[in-house]
Amino acid sequence: MTEPLLITGLAATSAFGRGAAALLAGALAGHPAVRTVHRFDVSGRRVRVAATAPGSPDLGPELVEVIDAACEQAGLSARARTGCPLLLAVHGDPAMARVSDVDKPACSAAGLAEALAVSCGLGRAPWAYTSACVAATTAVADAAALILRGECERAVVAAGYLVEPDQFALFDAGRVLAPDGVVRPFSAQRKGLLLGDGIAAVVVEARGPARARGAQALGLLAGWGRAGDAYHVCAPRPDGAGLARATGAALRRGGVVPEQIGYVNAHGSGTPRGDLAESRGLHLALGPYAAQVPVSSTKSTHGQALEASGLLELVLTVLALRVGRLPVNAGFLAPDPDCDLRLVLDAPQRTDARYALTVNMAFGGANTALLVGTP
Amino acid sequence: MTGPGVGAVTLAQVRREVALAGLRVRACAHWPTAGANGRGQPPPVPGFVESSFSPLIADAGHRCLAACYGQPPAPPEEGPRTGILIVSRYGDVQSAAAVARAVDKGERVGPLMFYQSVPNAVAGHLAAAWGLGGPVACVSPAADPVAQSVQVVSLLVGDGDADGVLVILAEQACVNGGRDYALAALVVGEWLA
Repeated sequence: MTEPLLITGLAATSAFGRGAAALLAGALAGHPAVRTVHRFDVSGRRVRVAATAPGSPDLGPELVEVIDAACEQAGLSARARTGCPLLLAVHGDPAMARVSDVDKPACSAAGLAEALAVSCGLGRAPWAYTSACVAATTAVADAAALILRGECERAVVAAGYLVEPDQFALFDAGRVLAPDGVVRPFSAQRKGLLLGDGIAAVVVEARGPARARGAQALGLLAGWGRAGDAYHVCAPRPDGAGLARATGAALRRGGVVPEQIGYVNAHGSGTPRGDLAESRGLHLALGPYAAQVPVSSTKSTHGQALEASGLLELVLTVLALRVGRLPVNAGFLAPDPDCDLRLVLDAPQRTDARYALTVNMAFGGANTALLVGTP
Repeated sequence: MTGPGVGAVTLAQVRREVALAGLRVRACAHWPTAGANGRGQPPPVPGFVESSFSPLIADAGHRCLAACYGQPPAPPEEGPRTGILIVSRYGDVQSAAAVARAVDKGERVGPLMFYQSVPNAVAGHLAAAWGLGGPVACVSPAADPVAQSVQVVSLLVGDGDADGVLVILAEQACVNGGRDYALAALVVGEWLA
């Protein structure tokens, strides 16, 4: 069992608006923040909706705002920030494909991370994560590993994706966007995902230093796991074995048995194959308890924020345990007998659970699981 | 805010950083091969089009693993505990440019571009071929790609989610002084060396 780390600051901006409270309220209400995309031309696309905030927000300034908000909530002084690395997860700046070679470094994921570290007074940004839907959660796991190795007392993990024309075109071309305009995770007749805006940041901290400076713990990062499928370039392993190994690693680190888990924030992209593999993976990892633990995919309301989704979902999982209410799995039409999960439907479910899992899957067979606890 | 790609990376640098981290390089390979002398293209990878990025990574990765294991798959006692880390400051610049051109002209994007635009995809290609079931991660390094790559590998191995990592540093010619480049190294903990 690993000594749990503390989450002492968190912040988010999503299609529900600014602030983690707006994200939580939207996810609990279960009304998708999906609207027609006006940010760029979608007239030639099969699907024309996404979970977008109004206007055309700029990724850099939005990230600065959430990083500052998370650091302020954690009560980090300017001096404490300087010893704090920034682990950023982003797809990269679409501008990179449109600028000269001389200007490309600043548009790279690492270039953005370095600029953010300077803007936010953080110590360094050694690298940035670009591993799609597990980028942010891999960053959280690595932040924990850095802290446990004694390389730092705390780390800021941030992630951002704002719906833009290039990824929208790619996902549309890949025919993975839901043509009915609704994300229906684990439901019969689910047809695909919808992209969504997501900007989030968390402060992960060792217990001793956090206590020494009187920081309030919002939640525990009690365990984490990462594993691969060894299966395909983009399809998930049908038996979910990679996700199960990542989940098992998170439970082992946390010293927690499946029956102690009171909620699973699922990856739940809403794609037919992905949700099926995830269901099987959860059954492999949790055994018969997989059919009893409450599960929801909050992508059904805030959309798929790619590299940032995992961090939005971590923020929601921490907040759900804090308020004792579990977000709804929206868009549900009817049970899929192959996805034997106890979904949170219709209304938020009350809980006094101490532990929850948030799991993610990505192309290349990448899987992560984070175990969250109440302080 | 500028920083180097991986074009200047040498195997000696990798070995030095890996040794400093208490790890070992079991095998390595790079593109261009000695015979290619900077010319030609890496072998195509089925399903990956228009860009050298994924073929570069696949070629260096396959040859590195072949140097260690011969034929795929990796031995069952090692493969499931071996991860893949792709390191590229700029990522797949050619694919990104192709998508941007199509979008800016109002044209449709080819469906194959969908998954190849994610750097994990080629990691999945290698993982499937060789039975590598460890973590899959992709990072864009800031200042020192070798030191930072080894630090990420060290985190994965030290943390216990992998016993070894196939790390592949790659950058395309358009951002790398006119030369496509990839270096793959199978890095393992001392207990597997």
